[in-house]
Amino acid sequence: MSTQTHTNTARTGHLGEGTWWQGRSGLLVPLIMGAFSTYLLVGILTMEVAEDADKPGPQFFPMIIMIVGYALTILLTIAYIRNPEPVDVDDEQPAEAQEDRAFSTPVTSAVAASRLEPHEEDEPAADRRALAEAKAADAKHRTHSDFVSLAWGAGGFAAFALILEFAGWIIAAALLFWCVARSMGSKKPLFDLTVALTFSSLVYIAFAVMLGLNLPSGILGGGF
Amino acid sequence: MDALMSLFEGFAHALTPMNLLWVVVGCFLGTAVGVLPGLGSSMAVALLLPMTFALDPTGAFIMFAGVYFGGLFGDSTMAILMNTPGQASAIASTFEGHKMARAGRAPQALATAAIGAFIGGFISCFLVVFVAPALADLSTSFGPAEYFALALFAFVATSSVVADSVLKGLMALVLGIGISVIGIDSVSGTERFTFGVPELFDGVSLVTVTVGILALGEVFFIASRIRRKVNDNTINASGRPYLSRKEFGEALPAWLRGTAIGLPFGVIPVGGADVPTFMAYGLERKLDSRRKDPQFGKGAIRGLAGPEAAGSATTGIAMGALLSLGLPISATAAIMLAAFRQYGLQPGPLLFDRSPELVWGLLASFFIAMIVLLIINLPFAPLWAKLLKIPDPYLYGGIAVFCGLGIYATSASTFELLILLGIGIISFVLKRYGVPLAPLMIGMVLGPLAESNLRDALLAAGGDAATLVSSPITIVLYLVLIGALVYTGIGRVLARKRQKQTTQEVLAPANSSQS
Repeated sequence: MSTQTHTNTARTGHLGEGTWWQGRSGLLVPLIMGAFSTYLLVGILTMEVAEDADKPGPQFFPMIIMIVGYALTILLTIAYIRNPEPVDVDDEQPAEAQEDRAFSTPVTSAVAASRLEPHEEDEPAADRRALAEAKAADAKHRTHSDFVSLAWGAGGFAAFALILEFAGWIIAAALLFWCVARSMGSKKPLFDLTVALTFSSLVYIAFAVMLGLNLPSGILGGGF
Repeated sequence: MDALMSLFEGFAHALTPMNLLWVVVGCFLGTAVGVLPGLGSSMAVALLLPMTFALDPTGAFIMFAGVYFGGLFGDSTMAILMNTPGQASAIASTFEGHKMARAGRAPQALATAAIGAFIGGFISCFLVVFVAPALADLSTSFGPAEYFALALFAFVATSSVVADSVLKGLMALVLGIGISVIGIDSVSGTERFTFGVPELFDGVSLVTVTVGILALGEVFFIASRIRRKVNDNTINASGRPYLSRKEFGEALPAWLRGTAIGLPFGVIPVGGADVPTFMAYGLERKLDSRRKDPQFGKGAIRGLAGPEAAGSATTGIAMGALLSLGLPISATAAIMLAAFRQYGLQPGPLLFDRSPELVWGLLASFFIAMIVLLIINLPFAPLWAKLLKIPDPYLYGGIAVFCGLGIYATSASTFELLILLGIGIISFVLKRYGVPLAPLMIGMVLGPLAESNLRDALLAAGGDAATLVSSPITIVLYLVLIGALVYTGIGRVLARKRQKQTTQEVLAPANSSQS
C-alpha cells in the first residue's frame, strides 16, 4: 500500500519486466475472487430448491456472498491496476521510513502516537544492510517467487496424494518428505532419502501401529 | 462459591496421571512448535487436531490447552532471541525484547517474558472460572438476531479493523464464508454447490481448510523464498535466568498493566492478541517517555513485560469466551471450536450443563499448563533455542508429512488430500500478495452460524429486516461496531498522512544528493 518509499527501479531479468504486467501480477488475487464468485453464481443458478422451502431459502445467503464477491473483484482489480506493486529493489531504507511503515497499519497506529522522537536507535546498520543485500541477491533471480521450489513442493504433495493408497504410507510419505526437503534447497538427495524413509516409518509406527490411525500399508503390507 | 467447588472437582479430574501426562505433552509440543521460526500456536493446534482422534475428548482438550499456551511461550522465546515472531501477537515483544538480548540481557528477557505470560495467563484463567458461567447465563438471552450481530461484528472487526487493507481483509472473509456454504444446507436440506460430487455433501471440512491455510500454505510460501536469507542474528542466551529484585520491581507494574489491557480483548472479537499486545507496548512506551531516564530503545524491560502479559491474558479469556459463548475470537480459538465439533460437542451455555466434567477439567488444566510452562520455560529457554539446529528442509518436510497424515487420518480419502493441496496453493497466493488469512478462518467458522441465525431471525419475523436491530443488545453491538470503524478509519488516514510526510522528508535530501 505504500509505494512512495521506493524510488529505484533497477531489477534484472524479472519475468514480464518492462511490460504493463510488471508489478501487476497481484491481479491473481481478484482473479481468484472472481472465479469463486462465478462458482457461487453457477451453483445458485443450478440449485434445485424444493417448492415449499421456507422463505429466506438456501440461495439467500450465498447470493449476498456472491454479490459482495463480485464487488470486491472489481474494486481489487481497480486497486491493482492503479497501484502496481513495487517490484524494485531498494537500497538501504532509512530506519525512520521503515519504522513509519511498520507503524502505519491500523493495529499499530495505536502505538504510532507514542513513537520516540527523534529516533534514537533501531536495528543495527549491519542488519539492514544484510536485508538490503538479500533483497538485491534475490532480484538477480529470474522471478520474484521461486517457482521451481514451489513446483517441487506442490508436485510432491500431488504425487503423495495420488500414490498414497497404492504405494502405501511409508513410500508415499517418504516421497513427500524428500520432495519438500528438495524444494527447501537441500543438496544431498541420497542422505535425504534415508532421512525421509526413517521419518515416514517412525510416523507409521507411532500413529498406525501404536495409536491405531488408519494409514494404508500399500504394496509393502500383506502382499508378500 | 459454586464456581470454586466446580473448579476443585475439575482439578480432581485433571490431576489423574493420564490427563497430567497430556498437559505435559501438550506444553512440550506447543513450546517446541512455538520456538521454531515462523510457526505459531495456531499452526501447532491445526497440525495436532487430527492426532486427537486417538484420545478421549477431555484428554484431547487438555492437551490442546497445553499446546495453545505453550505456543505463546515459545513464540516469545524466538521473538527475543532471533527477532522472528512466530505470529502477530509476538511482534510487539520483538521491539524491546530483542534489544534486551542484544544488550547482553537475553536470559533476563526470556525470564521477563515467561513470567509475564504466566501472570497474564494465570489472572485471566482465574477470572474465566468466575466469568464463564456468568457469560453462559447471559448468552441464554441471546436470540438469532443477537448471534447474527455478534457474527457480523466478528466479520467486520477481523477483516476491516485489524487487517492492513480493508479490501484484502474483506476478500479473505468472503472467501471463508463462501467455502462454508458448500454442502447440504442445514435448514432446508438442499444440495448446495456440490455439483454432484458426493465428497462435498458434508461441505469442505474446517480441519482441511485450517491445515491447508496455516500449515501447507506456509510450507509453500517458505519454499518460494528460500533464497532470501537474512543474516542469522540468533543471540546465545546464557547467564542467570532469573530477575534481580530491582528488575522484578520494575517489570511488575508493566505485567499488571499489560494484563489489564489484555483481559477485555478476550471477549471482543477482533482477531486475537495482536491488538492488545501493541496497545500494551504503546502504553509502556508513553509512560516511559515521561520518566527522567527513558529506557525504550535500549532494551526496556517494561516494553517486553507489558505485551507478554497482555497476549497471555487475552488468550486465557478467549478460551473462556469460546467455552461459554461458542464464539471464537482468534484463528486458534476457531480451530479449537472445530475440535469441539469433531467430538460432537457444541461450546456454548449448554456445554456447562451437559459436560461439566470436560469444561471444569479443561479450566483446571489451564492452571496446570501455566505452571508446567513456567517450569519448562524459565530455566530452560536457552535449551529450547537448540531446536533451531534442525535443518529447514527436514523441518518443513516433516510438517508437510504431518499435513498429509492428519487429513488422511480424518477422511481416508484421496479427494480430501487434493482439496488440501488446492487450498494450500490458494493460501500461498494469498500470502504472497499480503492477503490476511485470519478473516478467512473466522469467516469459515462463523459463516454457518451467521447464516442459520440470519435466516431464523428473518423467518420468525416474516422477512422483516427490522428484526435484526430490534433488541438493545443488537443496537449496542452495531453502535460499537460503527464507532470502531469510524475510529480506525480516522486513524488510518492520519497514519498515512504522517507516513507520507516523513518519507518525503527523509528521501528528499537523499535524492538531491544522488542527482
